[in-house]
Amino acid sequence: MFETPTIADFLAQSNLASTLPGTLLVLWTLILVLVDLFLPEERQRWTPILACIGLGISFLVNLFVYSPAESEQIALYGMFVADAFTGFLNVVILVATLIAILMSWDYLNRADIHRGEYYVLALLSSAGAMFMVGANDLIIIFVALELLSIPLYILAAFRSIKNDGSDLALKSEESGMKYFILGAFSSAFLVFGSALVYGATGTTNIPEIFSLAGGIAGTVSSAAFYLIIGAALLFVGLGFKVAVVPFHMWTPDVYEGAPTPVTAFMSVTAKIGGFAAMLRLLVSGLAALVIADGEPVAWQATVSLVAVLTLILGNFVAISQKNLKRMLAYSSIAHAGYILVAVAATGTAGVADAATQSALVYMLAYMFTNLGAFAVVMSIEREDGSGGNIEDITGLARSRPLMAMAMTIFMLSLTGIPLTAGFVGKFMVFAAAVQAGLFGLAIIGVLTSVVSAFYYMRVVVNMYLRDSSGDLQPALETSAVRWAINIALAGTMVFGVFYPLATNLVSSVSIT
Amino acid sequence: MHSIGTEPYIMLSLVLFLMGAMGVLMRRNAILVFMSVELMLNSANLALVAFAQQWQQINGHVFVFFVMTVAAAEVAVGLALIVNIFRERQSINIDDLQQMQG
Amino acid sequence: MDLTGLSLTTITLFIPMIGLAVLLFMNGETQRDNIKWVAFGTSIVAFVASVLMWVNFDPSVAELQMVQRNTWAEVSLGESVINISYFVGVDGISLLLVLLTTFIMPIAILGSFGSQIFEERGREKLYYIFMMLLEWSMIGVFVIHDLIIFYVFWEVTLVPMYFLIGIWGAEERIYAAVKFFLYTMAGSILMLIAILYVGNKSGTFSTYSAAGDVGVIEMVHTYEGEGSYWDPVADEEENAGFLLSSVESFLFLGFLVAFAIKVPIFPFHSWLPDAHVQAPTAGSVILAGVLLKMGTYGIVRFNLTMFPEAAVAWAPTIAFLGVVGIIYGAWVSYAQDNVKKLVAYSSVSHLGFVVLGIFALNSQGLQGATLQMVNHGISTGGLFLIVGMLYERWHTKEMADYGGIWKVMPAFGAISLVISLSSMGLPGLNGFIGEFTILMGSLGSEYLGFAFTLFATLGVIMAAVYLLKMFQHVFMGEHENPLSDEARYKLQWNEIAAFIPILIMIFWIGIQPIVFFNMLDMSVDSIVALFVP
Repeated sequence: MFETPTIADFLAQSNLASTLPGTLLVLWTLILVLVDLFLPEERQRWTPILACIGLGISFLVNLFVYSPAESEQIALYGMFVADAFTGFLNVVILVATLIAILMSWDYLNRADIHRGEYYVLALLSSAGAMFMVGANDLIIIFVALELLSIPLYILAAFRSIKNDGSDLALKSEESGMKYFILGAFSSAFLVFGSALVYGATGTTNIPEIFSLAGGIAGTVSSAAFYLIIGAALLFVGLGFKVAVVPFHMWTPDVYEGAPTPVTAFMSVTAKIGGFAAMLRLLVSGLAALVIADGEPVAWQATVSLVAVLTLILGNFVAISQKNLKRMLAYSSIAHAGYILVAVAATGTAGVADAATQSALVYMLAYMFTNLGAFAVVMSIEREDGSGGNIEDITGLARSRPLMAMAMTIFMLSLTGIPLTAGFVGKFMVFAAAVQAGLFGLAIIGVLTSVVSAFYYMRVVVNMYLRDSSGDLQPALETSAVRWAINIALAGTMVFGVFYPLATNLVSSVSIT
Repeated sequence: MHSIGTEPYIMLSLVLFLMGAMGVLMRRNAILVFMSVELMLNSANLALVAFAQQWQQINGHVFVFFVMTVAAAEVAVGLALIVNIFRERQSINIDDLQQMQG
Repeated sequence: MDLTGLSLTTITLFIPMIGLAVLLFMNGETQRDNIKWVAFGTSIVAFVASVLMWVNFDPSVAELQMVQRNTWAEVSLGESVINISYFVGVDGISLLLVLLTTFIMPIAILGSFGSQIFEERGREKLYYIFMMLLEWSMIGVFVIHDLIIFYVFWEVTLVPMYFLIGIWGAEERIYAAVKFFLYTMAGSILMLIAILYVGNKSGTFSTYSAAGDVGVIEMVHTYEGEGSYWDPVADEEENAGFLLSSVESFLFLGFLVAFAIKVPIFPFHSWLPDAHVQAPTAGSVILAGVLLKMGTYGIVRFNLTMFPEAAVAWAPTIAFLGVVGIIYGAWVSYAQDNVKKLVAYSSVSHLGFVVLGIFALNSQGLQGATLQMVNHGISTGGLFLIVGMLYERWHTKEMADYGGIWKVMPAFGAISLVISLSSMGLPGLNGFIGEFTILMGSLGSEYLGFAFTLFATLGVIMAAVYLLKMFQHVFMGEHENPLSDEARYKLQWNEIAAFIPILIMIFWIGIQPIVFFNMLDMSVDSIVALFVP
């Protein structure tokens, strides 16, 4: 049945060079585990530094691998595709991980849970995300998703390793447990969906699915049945990961309980990984599910409906939240809704590329802004982890004006006010939606962003327009978290003001 | 070898999958929830193997191996979490996980 | 990319940004006195630059002047690529409003010198930074002719105004600031969808044609196929179903709602009294003086030019709302006991005239409306200054607490009388010219009936009633609340300096309106020409 491949053949087929950014990161984590094991107690600060170096190496390699504007390269026997889409999202993931590690360094010291494993897990998770964005095969999607998720379960529960029975440790543990159960549950959907799609088409390769799906969907057969159910289950599985309504219920608890840097990290990387896989599946794989020629693909209406629900629920429930992390959790649900608007727009013929690009720009903007906002939230938390409520930010403009300014810009960016990255993202997404003829979706999108202004502005109101009655809190943050905020702020502003920058970066992306 | 075809296997795996999903949603004991998830994964494995047989192809088998390996990794993490929680609260009822209310 | 060099428009636009950059690097504590001078100096330089623009302006040309157009970004929408360009330039209407902006800003800044709000709330540096940001974004709104960049400037004006109201406002400032922000954002965000549709349909975001690129307006008016440009399918029952069914109508409304909330046109006005009453003096002056004009300007610049058929179809409806605004604003204004609220509602009434003039869709109406935008900016800005100065001294906005101010501050009383008279439209002063021209325009309009003019005229009379009522309550009668500090009766130098330019303009426009009408002639004619079949 199979011939033994020669070495040369193997190397050519696996084309390891183009997977280097991800594989190097995995190798680096292995080194990091060993180094961390032998580091003496007083030199433990080297682990985060080494982790950052690893990210830097991966970043440089990524530039080399993806900078020639060649067309896509296939690797790992067609299971992995290295194209502009992968390259761009790799950068986003690496920057997100960097910011998250800068935040973590501070947090772990504060909570007195400084362990080297933390960084190893963070890097592994980010490597998982990097494989996921390049996944070209259902198997890789599954494996990469698990590589992304399993470390996150542990990270979410990380606070509980210091078993002091404190409220925070309990919450963190509970967060990890909930994330784990829901994560495993959604993986099962993903696997079963993959199995059915495989059963219908006889392949797990996404482009091959694309070439076969159209013919199968038109017939009345068990294969067509498997394909539709399988696609739906895949969407459900990924929907859990990116937290879209109605698969969102785990988000608030997990986000609130997990250590803040972990929340920040997973709110970005897990979403990027999930959406990347969703785009690949729907655009490269299932775009052939067309009802009639010239019509939008069959799943567009479903995705639009889910987007509407997500936008409305995320934004409206966020209004009533008192805890900042919980508010940001619901806001991240809402932002998943905006990205889903772009995903829905890919379903219209001729708009797929523009819509994919807009989703990428949105993720870039969301990454900087959301991480920045979480970094500010983390800085105002007290030693015991309390102080993350919306009242606790009152008077920040007086006690720490620069941080208040940064938070204001993050909030404006999340709202989508011009001159911030958030606006560029929203603009691109709505442009794609209008181009795709989804006017209702676009209008609901803009109206819900007015709703979102309500709760984002409340943060600004508390910082600037009210004066705190109590004592000013001492600044606990160290320079690491300040750097995290600075990087996030720079990204938010630069991509917001120099609009063409973001659009040029994604202009060559095409996954059709 | 092809005497009964693929459909019965798929139907069985669908039933197992649904049983697993119901278990996750209805069971309150963390271990049982966890077992239900395993049931879902294994029903998918069954489907994969059946399809691999139908297509006379190795992809499905490979997928099954990956699923099994990953499931083992999940077990390691999941059981550790459960043990941790049991130590803390002397209970593994997931309804007791109510530290956060929003 | 065609780099035509920096045009004068660009220079004027970015002068406030230079001031802002300088302010950012100053220390808010040690250089407190210098900060306000930097801000004031910047606004004066911007004013000089805009006067230079006026000097360079050729009123006999209908096209945009002092144009600069650089490609800024490319948006790929499907197969087509749409350019977003930095496209600035002025015609008469833009120029007049830029002049108004740069004229009001130094006055507003002067008016806030030494104000007590800085003693209470501090953060003087932040205040002037927001002033500069506001000036930049307002000028931007008036000179940009690319829809996306226009939208950017339009939204950015929200942010500094939100903070000006929210940090330095009166007791209910938070409520007012949030209401202002949400209300105006809700209105303008639908415009984004309309803009995206326009760009998608026409393949460009530039409204005017420049350097060989055809703009949206030219596409609309040179369209020769079936139906109209936006609704290519000819619809025989167009007149019956036009208002609600056509794409053009929806786009028109998408833009109009954004502008109508800003103006505000009658049912959308509820944010205005709150914002005005709570805003600090300079905030009110700018809000009344310039920000509201962004709405009416937008209607003229975008609604009339890009959607002429919808404009005709909607003209009676919107003009009707304008007239309702005139009467309603005047009526509510009369019923107020709070001076600032009275002036705020008078804005609703005065801007009703502007809306009426615009939707007369003839050259007189439009010229009058544009001039009235300037007049209202000057007079109402002046009125808010007066209210602010009263408040600085007596700390109350209730009319009942005042009385007999004329006796103790005769010069101040005289100035206030002139400004009030200008606001109510006394012949010889600026308000009269604007309102009279608007009324003539509406009388001669093909699209509006006689009743519009009739009721609007009623509004003129009512304006006299409520303004005189205010004047009588505040300045006449017995002086019952003497100040403890006698020296405060004297006007400060900066207060006098703020009034002088206002008075000059009131008389100048009143006596020599032809100077300003000349400036508008060609630009207005080129817009009105769209409505002559």
